[in-house]
Amino acid sequence: MEGVVFWLILTLVKILVILAIVLGIGAYLTLLERKVAAHIQRRPGPMVVGWHGLLQPLADGLKLITKEDLFPRYGNRFLYNLALVMALVPAALVFAVVPFGPEFELFDVKVKPMLTDVNVGLLLVFAFGSMAVFAIALAGWASNSKYALIGSMRKAGIVVSYEVVITFAVMGPIILAGTLSTYEIVQKQIQQELWYVWLQPLAFVVYMFAMLAETGRVPFDVQEAEAELVTGFTVEYGGMKFGLFPLVEWYIEVLSLSAIAVVLFLGGWSPINIPFLGFVDPLFFLGPFSPFLWFVLKVSLLFLFVLWLHWTLPRYRIDQITETAWKVMLPITLVNIVLTAVFAPLVWE
Amino acid sequence: MPWAKAEDFRDLTQRFEGLVLEEKPSITALHVQKAKLLELLRVLKQEKGYKLFLDHSVVDFPDKDPRFQAFYVLYNVDERKRVVVKTWTEGSLPSVEGLWFAGKWAERECYDMFGIRYEGHENLVRAFMWETYQHYPLRKDFPLEGYPTEYLPSLNEVVWGESLQGLMNYDRMHTSVPTLEDLEITERKRLQKKAQIVLNWGPLHPGTHGTMWFLFDLEGERVYQCDVILGQLHRGVEKLAEHEMYNQFLVYTDRMDYLSALCSNQAWVVAVERLLGIEELVPEKAKYIRTMMAELQRINSHLLWLGTYALDLGAITVFLYAFKEREKLMDIIEGITGARLTISYTRIGGVRMDLPEGALEVIKAFVKRFPKELAEWESMLSRNRIWLRRNVGVGVISKEEVYFYGLTGPVARGSGVPYDLRKFEPYDAYGWVDFDVPVGENGDVYDRYLVRLEEMRQSLRIVEQCVSALERMPKSAPFFAESPDPKKLKLSLDGIGLKVPEGETYSSGENPRGELGFYIYSTGGVKPYRVKIRPGSMYNLCVYPKLMKDRVVADAVAILASLDPVVGEIDR
Amino acid sequence: MVKKVFERPLSWLERVLFIDFIRGLSVTIRQALRRTITTHYPYEKVTPPKRFRGFFGHKVVDGKEPQPAFDEWVERFKIKVEPGKSRCVVCLLCKRACPVPQLFEIEGEKLSDGRRRVSVFNMNLMLCTFCGFCVDACPVDCLFQSDIHETASYTRRDAVLDLQTLERIGRDWQRRREEEPDRIWIDDHQRLKLWHENQLNLPEVKR
Repeated sequence: MEGVVFWLILTLVKILVILAIVLGIGAYLTLLERKVAAHIQRRPGPMVVGWHGLLQPLADGLKLITKEDLFPRYGNRFLYNLALVMALVPAALVFAVVPFGPEFELFDVKVKPMLTDVNVGLLLVFAFGSMAVFAIALAGWASNSKYALIGSMRKAGIVVSYEVVITFAVMGPIILAGTLSTYEIVQKQIQQELWYVWLQPLAFVVYMFAMLAETGRVPFDVQEAEAELVTGFTVEYGGMKFGLFPLVEWYIEVLSLSAIAVVLFLGGWSPINIPFLGFVDPLFFLGPFSPFLWFVLKVSLLFLFVLWLHWTLPRYRIDQITETAWKVMLPITLVNIVLTAVFAPLVWE
Repeated sequence: MPWAKAEDFRDLTQRFEGLVLEEKPSITALHVQKAKLLELLRVLKQEKGYKLFLDHSVVDFPDKDPRFQAFYVLYNVDERKRVVVKTWTEGSLPSVEGLWFAGKWAERECYDMFGIRYEGHENLVRAFMWETYQHYPLRKDFPLEGYPTEYLPSLNEVVWGESLQGLMNYDRMHTSVPTLEDLEITERKRLQKKAQIVLNWGPLHPGTHGTMWFLFDLEGERVYQCDVILGQLHRGVEKLAEHEMYNQFLVYTDRMDYLSALCSNQAWVVAVERLLGIEELVPEKAKYIRTMMAELQRINSHLLWLGTYALDLGAITVFLYAFKEREKLMDIIEGITGARLTISYTRIGGVRMDLPEGALEVIKAFVKRFPKELAEWESMLSRNRIWLRRNVGVGVISKEEVYFYGLTGPVARGSGVPYDLRKFEPYDAYGWVDFDVPVGENGDVYDRYLVRLEEMRQSLRIVEQCVSALERMPKSAPFFAESPDPKKLKLSLDGIGLKVPEGETYSSGENPRGELGFYIYSTGGVKPYRVKIRPGSMYNLCVYPKLMKDRVVADAVAILASLDPVVGEIDR
Repeated sequence: MVKKVFERPLSWLERVLFIDFIRGLSVTIRQALRRTITTHYPYEKVTPPKRFRGFFGHKVVDGKEPQPAFDEWVERFKIKVEPGKSRCVVCLLCKRACPVPQLFEIEGEKLSDGRRRVSVFNMNLMLCTFCGFCVDACPVDCLFQSDIHETASYTRRDAVLDLQTLERIGRDWQRRREEEPDRIWIDDHQRLKLWHENQLNLPEVKR
């Protein structure tokens, strides 16, 4: 009995910590993005609210919350609001299976720094990922606007294509690790003293592209395409509702998929890897905190890289995106799977 | 001179009865009867090589019978000759749409403004005004202030307005604005729905670069047919020109193509100088200053184009980079002329002020640095695979289409037609400086992009040469023409009392967006009788519906931005 | 004379190694490490150049009028010259040169000693195009354009400049900037934020 209560409390604490971190970081990532974009463009970015605009996300949130809640005429109010929930919940749920670090002992209890270590963790991730398409389709449909509809249809097309690609891309690491549990995959990489990115560079590149496509980042931000569609499927949303979509898409989803990328390809919380030789940890002095820091560092580097790409590249056209997915990326991943299957026994040795 | 000689058409006098050849220094015109007009135009196009359609409109003479004199301006690109064909009409003309598509738009405008009926026109709808509007604004009997019985309802309800006196009281407004019903009638008349969705793209949309209204008939995302509704920014500049002195009209040229105000200024003053025959009198220094400033303005305008174009295709950062350099140009222009956007710097006979101290140093510093920046942007865009896929093979315009649609400027040059008035008909100092005309090969969006980038480099070359020429000139050199006979011709900075003798001319300048032409008809006096402006943007835009057929919505921005229209110039 | 523009196609190697992306990324990262160029309006402001065509003003009589034009015009219209008051001689040339002459409202009044002076000079800047023709036309260097460019107002009436306002702007201008040399812009570290990468060294100008 006591065990169950303790387990419940622990889970609750974990949920709260993860949610707080994810949403808090999500909000602050907007500031980070604005600052990065600004400096790339030779501007200082937000400077007025707080020191170097440090309180800007709060001000933005306050502004968005106090705005009038508009609703398009002849729209479907239930679906309109449901779309928001559908967007936010699956994106946040992905973090349930993200391992932030190795198991540690707290008051003689072994705690895994993840919500739940399901043995089909990755399956869960991509199942949740494909839920996003419902949110977008609903948002586009319920808004009763042609622009929103076109934007949501574009996004739906992309998500459908890239779900396939991303699933095939992660097959390689899964074969190498022999498990679907995210925690186990990292453990395997540490045991084998090998980040899977060294063996799966193709899969990694494809994964990165698919991630950009799924999250609607440049060069795949056709659903926003402010020049053509204004803001795509969010065009009829206002206030905080409008703010939530980019928050989910551009920050929380990018964060979760970056975390998964780190888990799959970059050895999770392990320090820098030299293939087949071992790990070098320049952060050893932090002791037990070092793995957590490594995880955060890798995720933020990936995120910064995404930002960097976002503010450099132009955008593809929708037909070119889906074409690339089916004609280029899918064959590449299939070849990759075959090659991996051939070489995997060597790695297992 | 760019005008054709009368001898060129001597052989036509036998074939066309009543053909009168008129040759003056400022114009060469063929007068023909209305019945033979179409035949003459066809002969000129097919046999004489006058393939490029420049402009068409009418001049209204309420006291004469027949009332309207129509003119067509044609250009022979191979032999670099221009000719005007004229005819008289009572209110109807044959449509030239079979010969030039560009004529179709010109005719719609003419129908809108003068009420001329065009026989055989496929879709004679109003160009700028809405369908339910009753009047023809450019006719001489239409008052400048409009009909006061027709109200502008929205602006009447000003809170503070009622107690204000005189001009401060905005109660008196010009003509009625279209109601939603009017607009629906207008919209219905333009586009017969043939596919799934009619998407209203504009009038207020970030991708249209101004208040343009496009109707896309969409089949999925594919554009089945497309139409353009203009007139959201129509201010009647041509009507205003008839009521302003020659110098004063300068401020309206600022507000037509507001992104390249200096080039428009220059085109206007050169046109008036040609009409006056004082082109030679303008001092060398003024010519160099004008040329230099116009080229800086061209870079400025192309930078804005590059920025917005990249923005449309998703490369937001290039937009900011382009604006950074543009800001420097703005600083230069602001320091020399005093204004950043609506510049009004040139004057008939020279420029408003001499260059200030330090101007040439600043320009040299800019010129030295700019190619580096340009190379950086090119390495971001030109050979980026995404950029290539979005641009190559999109919106292809063939050489023949350039003539058929009356395209000019970088759009024509992108298709391989080296039509550049700075070379063909050098005005100001363009004859004395050395530069290349960049042309493309395929005529797609990508070629137009490359042409504009190269044009910026060529502009830099011109600026460099102008700077070195200006440095050699003494500070005391005149920057304003001196009238040989102040009694006859009064030239002053403010333009008071400048009388222009009877005559007419068509003169054009190479604007960043194509040929900006002014057809000036003067009956003597301080004000022009009629000014027809040939807006480069409008004719460049007329190819848009054709290019958009069977493309997707995402290409709409790419193609539109590559045509680079400015609504202020289209609508005037 | 005619120059064909073209661009090499992407090679196979460039495609596979994403050289095109790397080039773009290197540009943006280099730009990100440079100094920012913006002026933080309204906390920082760029000083407009002397030639800036902003709000209008009337220069006042201070002994520096353009001679002999000023005396000639004063005699011609029998104007009463008062130091510290507008130089205007009510010649209406500004109104004549204006593309929108309705924006001027100018009246002179006759004084008891038989001489005249300007009594009403209203400019409705709602109609103004700021082209500067009136400034060119002014024969006595009275009407001019100042560097005032923050011109937003709460009512339309505030956009009408009357004689007092014009004179005030004029006095202020004569105190601040009249003596400045005619230079493209004055030394201004705000402007150098943008221009420092051009290594611009404007020569010193004697004041």
